[in-house]
Amino acid sequence: MRNRKGNMIKNDPERKVVSRKDGKKFLFYLRKDLMLYLFLIPVILYYVLFKYWPMYGLTIAFKDYNVFKGITGSAWNGLTNWVTTFSNQWLWKSIRNTLGLNLITLAVEFPLTIILSLMLNEIRHVKFKKITQSILYLPHFVSWVVVAGIVRGIFAQEGGAINGLLNQAGISSVPFMSNNGWWIFTYVVSNVWKGIGWGTIIYLAALTSVDESLYEAAYIDGATKFQRTIYITIPMIKPVMVTMLILSVSKMMNIGLDAPLLLGNNKVMEVSQVISTYIYRLGIEKAQYSVSTVIGLFQSVVNIIILLAADFVAKLIGEEGIL
Amino acid sequence: MNKEKRHFSAGYALICGIVLLFTFICLYPFLYVIAMSFSSTNAVLSGKVRIFPIEFQINAYQEILKKKQIWSSMWVTIKVTLAGTLLSLVLTIAAAYVLSKKKLKGRKILSSFILFTMYFGGGMIPTFLVVKNLGLYNSLGALFIPNAISVFNFIVMRTFFREIPESLEEAAYLDGANDFQILIRIVLPLSLPIIATIGLFYAVGYWNDYFSALLYIQDPNKYSLQLRLRSLLFTEELNSTSSEAVGTPVMAESLKMASIVVGTLPIIAIYPWLQKYFVKGAMLGSVKG
Repeated sequence: MRNRKGNMIKNDPERKVVSRKDGKKFLFYLRKDLMLYLFLIPVILYYVLFKYWPMYGLTIAFKDYNVFKGITGSAWNGLTNWVTTFSNQWLWKSIRNTLGLNLITLAVEFPLTIILSLMLNEIRHVKFKKITQSILYLPHFVSWVVVAGIVRGIFAQEGGAINGLLNQAGISSVPFMSNNGWWIFTYVVSNVWKGIGWGTIIYLAALTSVDESLYEAAYIDGATKFQRTIYITIPMIKPVMVTMLILSVSKMMNIGLDAPLLLGNNKVMEVSQVISTYIYRLGIEKAQYSVSTVIGLFQSVVNIIILLAADFVAKLIGEEGIL
Repeated sequence: MNKEKRHFSAGYALICGIVLLFTFICLYPFLYVIAMSFSSTNAVLSGKVRIFPIEFQINAYQEILKKKQIWSSMWVTIKVTLAGTLLSLVLTIAAAYVLSKKKLKGRKILSSFILFTMYFGGGMIPTFLVVKNLGLYNSLGALFIPNAISVFNFIVMRTFFREIPESLEEAAYLDGANDFQILIRIVLPLSLPIIATIGLFYAVGYWNDYFSALLYIQDPNKYSLQLRLRSLLFTEELNSTSSEAVGTPVMAESLKMASIVVGTLPIIAIYPWLQKYFVKGAMLGSVKG
């Protein structure tokens, strides 16, 4: 007891008085938890300042934002900003592109990741597996600026490695970065390149938890390797697959700003302008704060609707919810 | 080990081959960049470089050494990465430790207060205005304070803290230790792997971040490394500022590649440690809190 008191005096002399009067359990816990609440103060402060204050800032979507009057002082203007926003064709183009680029990337990356995971899982040479995995995860840690720099080098129309190879084979150069269709191709390839290795981690974890005895039983029954994969492995990792798919679908309206902004250029703006880059260009570059906030708010609301719907569907088909 | 070499079927060889192909595709861009950065002007001009440097030389790197902008930007990024990782770790540990306590009153509301921000937020523009209001615009603080806590990392760490046996902490309480002492002397020493994992995640995030600098930094002297790389790589800044002797665009190309190498080297250098921890971190995160 003396030891305990000694510590308390050192750390919090004021509350010691209370404790001496009635050192009951309740006060013991209250005092103990007070310190925990104190720990939380900087965290709460952070969230209030940088997350909840901006949420309040969303009100400028309904205001004529004036830099000098600030968020609170600016005058309300009803739905004026919303009319402006939705009558601009670039909004609809950026929504279309966001959904389109996300869908195409998902359609390519999702099956490829699973196939790669299944193949990695088959490899029995520990060293070979370790080295390949190390290399496959590497692109995840490289910044998008660097990736875009590399992509621009490799896919360049003149002097790029790929067009160099094509030219050698007698094929004329492909405009990977300046033609709309080819730009989408380049975008998807870069995204898959960066994400596929990292994506295998979750499947590989699911794969290692598959019960070994199932394979042995199937083996004794004469199932081939391929049959075992189709009838045992895939059904066993199906829940992970479904969860990952639902998670991806629920993020359809979200798109990282890095890839479209860094890979895009004026020639392919028709397909590279996505919601986040549109907000950036309108809000930061042109200082149209209110209109760009409308887009952000609209996107957030749609996101939440999709998320709730995806969660509902997940539970409907008997999978674990994502919320 | 012998057991693993049981049989080599054609199918197994095919699988190894395909995995090898994927691995090569992942590795190739790095090899290409390195090869380009060490190649001669002529080789780059003729587009001959594939995997290995042609007419090996280190001119591009000698040129890079003279680029003060790159090194000052790297210094900015080093400062931001160190300060940011420290702040992020302190805040994340505090939040995760407190909210991992099952007996704490109000724990659920406080957790929801944090988790809610994962699904809804003010977005880019209101956050930008708030950062400006707080006087952080054009200061290095803007590069790490506004994104100090990642909810994902908070969940990972909270999951880890929950798994620490309560009996250990209770014994310390009985010995008169307070929460701070327990956190420092018992919980943190047991959590070094997860702290390393999350610290590395944060550090890589700060190192690779260019968008915060794009949003909040106006003064070119305060450009972070990635923003500097962006302006060097994409706006031909290198052309206009390089000395006459190497003023040709092709030299600039290998200069670009050399600056990519220099900017990525620190990530590659810590990669072995990173790799040791991240798989576990990624797995913990997938277990929902």
